[in-house]
Amino acid sequence: MARISAGPADALAPGERTFVKHRNFEIGVFNVNGEFRAYRNRCPHQLGPACEGAISGTLMGSADTDWQLEWVLDGRVLLCPWHQVEFDLDTGERIRGLGERLRAYTVEVDDGELYVHV
Amino acid sequence: MAVTADRPTTRDDMVIVDVDVHVNDTPEALAPYVDPPYRRVLEHISTLPRRYLDIPGYALRLAIDLPLPDRGAGARSVHTPQQMREDLDALAVDIGILFPDHLLTMAALPDDVYAAALGRAYNAWLAEEWVSRGDGLYGAVVAAPQDPEDAAREIRRYGALDEFVGVYLPTAGVNPLWGARRYTPIFEAAAEMGLPVMLHSVGLIHAAFPFNVEQFRTILFRHPIQHEFALMANMFSMLESAIPARFPDLRIVFTEGGISWVPFTMWRLDKEYHEYRSLAPLLEHPPSHYIRKFYFSTQPIEEPERPQDLVTMLDMFDGADQVLFASDWPHHDFDHPRQVLNMPFSADTKRKIMGENALALFGIDAPVRAG
Repeated sequence: MARISAGPADALAPGERTFVKHRNFEIGVFNVNGEFRAYRNRCPHQLGPACEGAISGTLMGSADTDWQLEWVLDGRVLLCPWHQVEFDLDTGERIRGLGERLRAYTVEVDDGELYVHV
Repeated sequence: MAVTADRPTTRDDMVIVDVDVHVNDTPEALAPYVDPPYRRVLEHISTLPRRYLDIPGYALRLAIDLPLPDRGAGARSVHTPQQMREDLDALAVDIGILFPDHLLTMAALPDDVYAAALGRAYNAWLAEEWVSRGDGLYGAVVAAPQDPEDAAREIRRYGALDEFVGVYLPTAGVNPLWGARRYTPIFEAAAEMGLPVMLHSVGLIHAAFPFNVEQFRTILFRHPIQHEFALMANMFSMLESAIPARFPDLRIVFTEGGISWVPFTMWRLDKEYHEYRSLAPLLEHPPSHYIRKFYFSTQPIEEPERPQDLVTMLDMFDGADQVLFASDWPHHDFDHPRQVLNMPFSADTKRKIMGENALALFGIDAPVRAG
């Protein structure tokens, strides 16, 4: 178990991200609408650098919306830059996938500093 | 965008040949190589507004999909051989076979004289700027279907160079299909030069087979039809006119369709052949006999939930010697070599698919690695 510093919490505004290194891999640390999240920078699809992709929203609909489309999860959808695979930044889960997810790590704020537990 | 990942990819134990990578053949790049009447035209086309693989009078495309914000990776392209070499190094690819970007749609150009001129310009540009450097980049001579006699001359001209190892048959929008008698000079030339012919389609909406695909609102459901159905239709057309019987030494490669459609073609056509053999009087064997000798490139490799299913699929058409790795770099739907390497094929099958089959097919010597 390692505790890796990711810098001052107030330096990472909502919508922003930073990266930390652990051994031979990278972890993306995100401020998702005020909450901090950390994921391994590796897409479960073809192992692309998912955490480097655009952050967006997406279109969805269901019986709950009477099959009408909605633009949802704005600022919460991470798009892997290789194949645009969508992940929910709140949970790391692939949106409407087969259960794939980004490897998630706990982020702790201690005395104004961000730490990722690996 | 560079190819980056948090794990380096190096394969010291096998040669990786990528039989489908794309160069950005812009009108401004081809202008110095095109016949004089068209030089000013291409220079003018270069000044017109353009979108990805969509240039007026040059790359025809009907972009009807709803664009969503932030999904912009479709614009990746490779502009120089240096960039291609660096990108392929990052993918751990030793050797790449080059295909065009914009000339993927050239079969749809209605002007046969212009289309043939573009084909000649592309071949000359590849020869001069891309494949002459000896760093693992090889060309496929484009055969403009609009002018088969001219295409045959091009195949004999560039096929004489070691750097050209195949013939690219534009497949999107081709009309008639590649089995038509008018293309005989192209197959004669390819067979004579010992060059495999390589069919390659693209996401084109056009009034040639497979047409009516504008009914699909999204690339998600249209794209497989534009590739796999186009390949299937042209395969059937070539079998119908007995191309593999008439040219027994001609090697035929189907690119960018994956592999899972292949067993269907064998079994379905063999079933028809029981009843209608007399309507295919030039075939000396059932269709599956010929299909087993065709080659198929991996991308877009299927990603079944049970990876073992892909091994079964390959076995269904005895594909270990017939399947060729392809990434389709730098296109939006490229496959990283790991995607094929991580499938549960035997080590021997992996070496064949990733490189040995292609080295033998294209007559390329295995590269000697420094260090």
